[in-house]
Amino acid sequence: MDRLKRALLFFALGGMVLLAGCGKREGDSGAAPNAFIFARGADAQKLDPADVDDGESVNSLAQVCEGLVGFKQGTLEVVPVLAESYEISPDGLAYTFHLREGVRFHDGTPLNAETARFSFDRQMDPDHPAHFETASFQYWQNLYSAIESLETVDPMTLRFHLSEPNAGLLGALASFPAWLVSPGAFEKYGQEMIFHPVGTGPYRFLEWRPSEAILYERNPDYWGQAAGFERLVLRSIPLNTSRLSELLAGNLHGLDGIQPSELSDIQTDPRFQILHAPGMNIGYLAFSQLSGRMQDPELRRAVAMAIDRENLVRLALDGYGTVAAYPAPKGYLGIPDDAGPVRFDPEAAKALVAAHPEWTEQPITLATFGQPRMYFPDPQRFASLIRNDLEQAGFRVEIINREFKSHLHTTRRGEFEMALLGWIADTPDPDNFLSTFLHSKAAAVGSATNISFYRNPEMDTLLDDALTRTDPAARAALYRQALDLWARDLPLVPLVQADQIVVLDRHIGGYKLSPTGNHFFGPAYWKTDDNGQAADE
Amino acid sequence: MSEPDSAAPPSRRFPAGRLVLAELRRFVLIFLLASLGIFLALEAMPEDPVSLRVKNPDPARIAEIRESLGLNDPWLVRYVRGMGDFLTLDWGDSLITGRTVAAEVGRFLPATLELAIPGILLGTFLGISIVLLAHATGWRWLLQPVRGLAALGLTVPIFWIGLLLILCFSVWLGWFPVGGRFDFAYPAPHGTGFLLIDSILQGDPEAFRITVRHLALPVFTLALYPAAVVAGTLEARLGESFLQRLVLALQARGYSPLRIWGKHVLRLVSGPVATVIGTQAGALLGGAVLTETVYSWPGMGRMLVDGVLNRDVFVIQHGLLLVVVMALMVITLADFLSRRLDHQLNQMGREDNA
Repeated sequence: MDRLKRALLFFALGGMVLLAGCGKREGDSGAAPNAFIFARGADAQKLDPADVDDGESVNSLAQVCEGLVGFKQGTLEVVPVLAESYEISPDGLAYTFHLREGVRFHDGTPLNAETARFSFDRQMDPDHPAHFETASFQYWQNLYSAIESLETVDPMTLRFHLSEPNAGLLGALASFPAWLVSPGAFEKYGQEMIFHPVGTGPYRFLEWRPSEAILYERNPDYWGQAAGFERLVLRSIPLNTSRLSELLAGNLHGLDGIQPSELSDIQTDPRFQILHAPGMNIGYLAFSQLSGRMQDPELRRAVAMAIDRENLVRLALDGYGTVAAYPAPKGYLGIPDDAGPVRFDPEAAKALVAAHPEWTEQPITLATFGQPRMYFPDPQRFASLIRNDLEQAGFRVEIINREFKSHLHTTRRGEFEMALLGWIADTPDPDNFLSTFLHSKAAAVGSATNISFYRNPEMDTLLDDALTRTDPAARAALYRQALDLWARDLPLVPLVQADQIVVLDRHIGGYKLSPTGNHFFGPAYWKTDDNGQAADE
Repeated sequence: MSEPDSAAPPSRRFPAGRLVLAELRRFVLIFLLASLGIFLALEAMPEDPVSLRVKNPDPARIAEIRESLGLNDPWLVRYVRGMGDFLTLDWGDSLITGRTVAAEVGRFLPATLELAIPGILLGTFLGISIVLLAHATGWRWLLQPVRGLAALGLTVPIFWIGLLLILCFSVWLGWFPVGGRFDFAYPAPHGTGFLLIDSILQGDPEAFRITVRHLALPVFTLALYPAAVVAGTLEARLGESFLQRLVLALQARGYSPLRIWGKHVLRLVSGPVATVIGTQAGALLGGAVLTETVYSWPGMGRMLVDGVLNRDVFVIQHGLLLVVVMALMVITLADFLSRRLDHQLNQMGREDNA
């Protein structure tokens, strides 16, 4: 028996030594790596710019595709990209783009007016062979509906004709649904082109391993500044803890999608840099006009006054964000740069509640959801902080917690009293927030983005009118009026504008956060330290 | 399932043919019930998967897409069509990614199998060897972690153990990767979808090494649960009196512990243990969701969870049906095997008593 025991112990020890031997630490050196590896929380859904709306798909395409116009790095200023220049006719009904000479798509197809218009024709024309049956093409209805027709003026000039002026169109043309894909991709892949993006950008699409990673390589024929790395890898790692572990283990050069509260380990680690800046998002509290009680404007006002939004930023965003004063971010056309009309006044709220005993007969329901979103990294924390504030004012509140899609389903039907939700903008235009939240056309039961079901013809007229004005000052004035109406009726209370947060290896240079919230890794490069020392160990 | 009663006349021959028929009948019945259950659950889902896919839905376009997918038909029509589609392997497209469900399964199933098969093998090996070792050597403390794991409710501790393993072996020691199936700097072998097999077929030892390194921690984590269950079952079986008498008898004859426990006893208890292994393997085929999540493993578990979260009806429907079929197959096989083994055991037990 003793011999057996001794032999077993020997084996166990031997096994452990063997195990230790076969593992090998990957060398971490300050030398520039071949590939830039970045991880996010979810994989792309499709790689067709015309039929995606989730951030990860757009980020995956942003390395490959470009538009006629785009946003200057790190800003929302529209600049020419694949167009060398553009003109807008004085009546605002014709947009003419002069295309850049000598640009080729990754499959070799030359860029000209014919190949450029493919990306628009397929969205606009229901009979186009690349107008796929199950694709929603939701943005065409929404952002580009003013486009009536396209005209090939000469081989390198493309003109858009509008049915009515649309002040948001230029920004929309800089956004992802208007990014160009090669018609050669459709010839080669047919319906499968949604998995094989072929654009003109700094990186070429190489391979998609679903739920694992998307692989890219440098585009050697890029018309602009060449990409900083030979390879680019966008990994998807759903669990935040695992994503952080990969970073700490030295297997990643960057990541996003982690919560502010998880940054503490990284803040003190000299190997990393944390970038953060306001994102194009608003997290808000909506009151459903379809529920009997919430039609009372006094009640809505009392709730708004009772919520300490500074406290939400401090405790639910850990300081990584700002209070949203208006239902569109600061800096947008017509959005004033002040604290807004909603004031935190717990005493006044308390007095109102005391004067209305009927408000507290039944608890008010507050619908929230489980999964983190950019605007609410922890929605349940927001809900409990709000409940706390409301209870201080004398309200009774019941939180209803659902999984995100169920929450979306109920809110789009207006089946709630108060609900937490948010909006991430598609284009940097006030209309993308205000019409989304306040226009009656966005209040169809089942598909509403105006989940308050706020229907006010006066508001509709102001928003429609503002969109057709080409003079920014006149537009801004109309949006001010719309905001006055919003402040009077208060169908929703904007709460916060959350920061976008990206953690990068400290050797990464050239990258700037885009206010659109999308990652453009083309300009990112590896900078070597002065002392040539590795960051790790 | 009713085990053959040990009081049954030992002379009766093992009725293999009838047993196969009975198993088949049960298989079909359970499959029909499960498929009906899946369809009714999908039917009870109030959300519309098509409009929830998009951020800014256009009602007219949504209606067109629903019509083209046949989602507007009555549920019985969809059930019959769905079953027909499943049996003819025409599984439709994912609403979210646009890939065919068959392609999704073709990608995620090998990943899950490559994890589940080594996992169940290692788990079985660990479970059996710990218990037999504990008995053969008298080191009863070996059983403590097994009992502890069983008492803790298993799932949450395993999630936590996975994170702990990552922290220790990947972040601190750097011996293993944190997650994923393969390196992204090295070309992945293609072919069967099983990276171990593909790297052997392509004669690429480096790819094989990379695959093994990625498999090590998740396989070990996955093996813990089956190991605990197998050990628990085995331990319970070993407590039976006739086995204890048998051990005493064999010891009296001067047999070595290795021969007593590793050969005679193991053969006698293999029946019920086979059933347990079968059930465990059946459960793992659907993808061990927590393990796949912790190790960023692109498997069936993640596919199905994402499918449910996105209300991706065809992925849920055909993915679950496939899992049901696979699990039923493994469990039926294990059950069949264990009855055979148990039959022998009963006869031997009887001879032993005589």
